[in-house]
Amino acid sequence: MNTVVKCHGVSRVYDDEVAPVHALRNVDFHLEPGEFVSLAGPSGSGKSTLLHVIGALDEPTEGSIEVDGVSLDGLKARELSDLRLEKIGFVFQAYNLIPVLTARENVEFIMQLQGIESSARRERAEEALSSLDLGELADRRPNEMSGGQQQRVAIARAIVTNPVLLLADEPSANLDTNTTKELCELLTRVNRERGVTILTATHDPLVMGYAARQVTLRDGEITDEQRATPEAT
Amino acid sequence: MSLAKIGQLAWRNLWRQRRRNLTMLVALSFAVMGVIFLNAFLRGLTAQMADGAINSMVGHVKVLQPGYRDDPGIARSFVLESEWSPEIPAGQLQGWARRVRVPAVIMSERETRGIEFIGIDPAQESISFVADWTVEGEQLEGPGDRRILVGRSLAEQLETEAGRRLVIVTQGADGRSREAGYRIAGLYQSEHSALEKFHVFTGIEAAQALLASDTVTEVSVRLTDEKYQPTVLQSLIATFVGLNVFDWQTLQPMAATMMQLSDAMIYILFIIVMSALVFGLVNTVVTAVMERYREIGMLRALGMRAGAVLLQIVTESTLIMIMGVVIGTAAGGGLCLWLSDGVDLSAFSEGLEAFGFSSNTLVPTIMPADLAFVVVASLVMGVVASFFPALRAVRLNPLEAMRR
Repeated sequence: MNTVVKCHGVSRVYDDEVAPVHALRNVDFHLEPGEFVSLAGPSGSGKSTLLHVIGALDEPTEGSIEVDGVSLDGLKARELSDLRLEKIGFVFQAYNLIPVLTARENVEFIMQLQGIESSARRERAEEALSSLDLGELADRRPNEMSGGQQQRVAIARAIVTNPVLLLADEPSANLDTNTTKELCELLTRVNRERGVTILTATHDPLVMGYAARQVTLRDGEITDEQRATPEAT
Repeated sequence: MSLAKIGQLAWRNLWRQRRRNLTMLVALSFAVMGVIFLNAFLRGLTAQMADGAINSMVGHVKVLQPGYRDDPGIARSFVLESEWSPEIPAGQLQGWARRVRVPAVIMSERETRGIEFIGIDPAQESISFVADWTVEGEQLEGPGDRRILVGRSLAEQLETEAGRRLVIVTQGADGRSREAGYRIAGLYQSEHSALEKFHVFTGIEAAQALLASDTVTEVSVRLTDEKYQPTVLQSLIATFVGLNVFDWQTLQPMAATMMQLSDAMIYILFIIVMSALVFGLVNTVVTAVMERYREIGMLRALGMRAGAVLLQIVTESTLIMIMGVVIGTAAGGGLCLWLSDGVDLSAFSEGLEAFGFSSNTLVPTIMPADLAFVVVASLVMGVVASFFPALRAVRLNPLEAMRR
């Protein structure tokens, strides 16, 4: 199997009126299939930026990135869009569900973008929702669900296409402790049962505790990397 | 992504801002209704004007002796064989008339007036306003009738009435003055007093007898539809070699110009009204897009292609436009239908008469081509108006959009 993510010498510099901001400095980072890794660090350390460049949402100023063996270097906007659709699942801090669609339709939506046929779409959406205990909420719209429920739907949407990589940016930022625990258990289940590789950027020690590997960033550089003991995970 | 899904998303998004979109829809519907009704009103007005021009003894095509228009008189007349009739297919010809039409002076015991003395064959005059007039007294009985028909307004000026005698003086074919006394058969009343004051009718043979001539000054042809006019014009030019053959637009240039002007007015009106609305639509789309930057960014981040996002936003505004056009067209059509018996403009009759209107009742007329123009142009304007705000939205970097 391919290494899911290979970052080599990745830097990201933002232009600023006062001075350039080095969000990432010469980062080397690998993510192997089936890993559950958390990116930790204080605000401005570069963890979200790393997540975004890996997710083809942002372009590195220097260095190279490969996702599932595909180099992002030189890909056009449309190709990047297709790569995100086919290989990557996203879970955002603000849930970001489509407000006019029900939970089931939100989950089906991504498959519609992929051109999956309607009956298969329905079946897979039902399966993803049931596996995350969301069967009863399938016909509710986002504004009829709690934050935790919306985030679970967002995870269902992210995993329903069987992506090689699930990127979660501060997934627990708007959740209380109990809901965060439930969310982390859910991510762990997805990781173990479905074999989905997960990379999450988080401030939350609770979330970090569920990851098998913790990568710490500071000032755009990887400063520490720890693997959890099997007991801890 | 399927068009059906894009349509479904667009439709649901419209319901997110019900009040704003409903306001826009009402404004669009009113504008389309207004444009359609005003178009129909203008078309009715121009149709009335054209009808008035054709009806005022002009017809669609008229044959005259060269120079008659500048110096009318029996000296500028021509011979028309008694068995002549226009060779025009039956379905195209409404009728034709030969006439003798000369300037003259009419005298009663008290007053004298300058008039146009017109000899007609009453049986042929179904093609002019003569067919519609009301007569107090008796009608002319045929081409040989020696009596005269005088307009009610002229009779008032001459202080005379049906049954009395009047003297008509004109110039004969030999250049000498001719005068004769005629008994008034009846007083005619038409929609417009100008005609009543100026036209005095008698039988064509009686007029020829006064003028000592067996010629006519004009042949007027009326068609069932104006579309046959160019062919008939050419055919008559070929028949009447050496004579002038005119279409009604040449003989009534003011009415023809007014018709052209109203054509332009219809488009100008549409552009002004719809342009104002398009700014409103652009504002609605821009607001809707700005409110949903984050959502648009998320859709792009998930892998929705820029073209699909663009199509979805354009579909939203197109849906509003379609609804506005459908409601506005139905309302405009309904309004025209409601007024299909005509709008009474008698309060403005004097002004309308000056512009050549034949009737004081105006019937709004919807032309299919105008309707198609309004519908198609509205939709095109709607799509174009929403395209640029939508384009701006999809050009944003997904990450940047999600941060807004």
